[in-house]
Amino acid sequence: MSRLELFVVVVAVVNVAVVLEFVRRRKLAEGFALLWIGVGLAGVALSLARPVFDAVARAVGVSYGPSLLFTLALLFLLFVCMSLSLHVSRLSSRTEILAEEVAFLRAAQEPTVDHR
Amino acid sequence: MHRRRAGKDTVLSELLVVIPALDEEATVGDVVRAAREHIGGSVLVVDDGSVDETAAVALAAGATVVRHPFNLGVGAAVRSGLRYASEHGYTAVLQLDADGQHDPSDGRRLVERLHEDSADIVVGTRFGGNYRVRGLRRLGMRTLAKVVSTRLGTRLTDTTSGYRAFGKRAVDRLSRTYPSVYLSDTVEVLLMAGDWGFRVVEEPVHMHPRKGGRPSSGPALSTVNFLRLVLVIVLHDIRRPMSRRGGP
Ligand SMILES: Nc1nc2c(ncn2[C@@H]2O[C@H](COP(=O)(O)OP(=O)(O)OP(=O)(O)O)[C@@H](O)[C@H]2O)c(=O)[nH]1
Ligand SMILES: [Mg+2]
Repeated sequence: MSRLELFVVVVAVVNVAVVLEFVRRRKLAEGFALLWIGVGLAGVALSLARPVFDAVARAVGVSYGPSLLFTLALLFLLFVCMSLSLHVSRLSSRTEILAEEVAFLRAAQEPTVDHR
Repeated sequence: MHRRRAGKDTVLSELLVVIPALDEEATVGDVVRAAREHIGGSVLVVDDGSVDETAAVALAAGATVVRHPFNLGVGAAVRSGLRYASEHGYTAVLQLDADGQHDPSDGRRLVERLHEDSADIVVGTRFGGNYRVRGLRRLGMRTLAKVVSTRLGTRLTDTTSGYRAFGKRAVDRLSRTYPSVYLSDTVEVLLMAGDWGFRVVEEPVHMHPRKGGRPSSGPALSTVNFLRLVLVIVLHDIRRPMSRRGGP
């Protein structure tokens, strides 16, 4: 194992450890936990199975293995960004609804018409 | 109140029937009326952001209605129901589906077993009678049942059943911590009960085919959900206990 490979493996393992710690503290909902554990494990697997990955790259017609890896990683990150955007959109529309609800509750609680 | 129908130890004025409902206007009225007739106690429908007339129909049928401002999932609806019970001094909760698949005439048995067995949770199992599932679904349900039974040290055959009775201890404790993530709710809550040393028993119930509304999920989604349940079980031991506010 080259020094570089060792470094990559260490980074991947630390990644998995951090993800598991967030899961343990319940900072991550199950769905996200599953996603990030998958990412962590894929990282470890890829860094260990470099030759296999190179072979796959050649088989699909990509001459330089790492560039296939970069492409896939980029696509994956795009996907994650997209799903986070969806989540944020949903959260903000829910916030609006909650604010409305509070406004109406407040109107029911305190006098909003001045009868003086 | 409805003391007329009180069973042996069950003071029915202290029982709250909690019915989580999402877009069930076609069935919720009948379910509420049947619950009032066969079970007694008070009936609370938790309307979880329905876009149909669920809340109005439930109200007209004689239920109290709590409405979530948007859809939060069955778990959150049950938690609202348990919290309502806890804050209003109810000492037992019966959870029942709004789609008419659960037979309200089984409800009394579930509640009575809370007292007979000094149980904290009674799970209504669909496998006592005619109900059958096949193939992958069957394998999934069996696996879940086996794992959960082993952990709790009691035989449970239907861990995802939404027909359940909760005793006072369970109501108070779960009113703050009932897990809200879809499908984690039914299974994880049993693991939590195990951690707390609660007594969980099961009781056979009837299961009717759907009368209206739409079924919950197809095979692909069910598989994903099953995998998520596996994760929930695997991670349960290393995760911190659910916080008072009920998780992330
Ligand atoms: N509060 C709440 N209730 C829900 C939600 N989804 C479903 N329900 C209710 O939960 C009960 C069970 O839902 P179903 O969709 O019938 O689930 P199921 O019985 O496990 O599955 P099938 O009947 O086989 O489709 C019904 O009373 C529904 O109205 C939700 O998001 N929030
Ligand atoms: Mg159903």
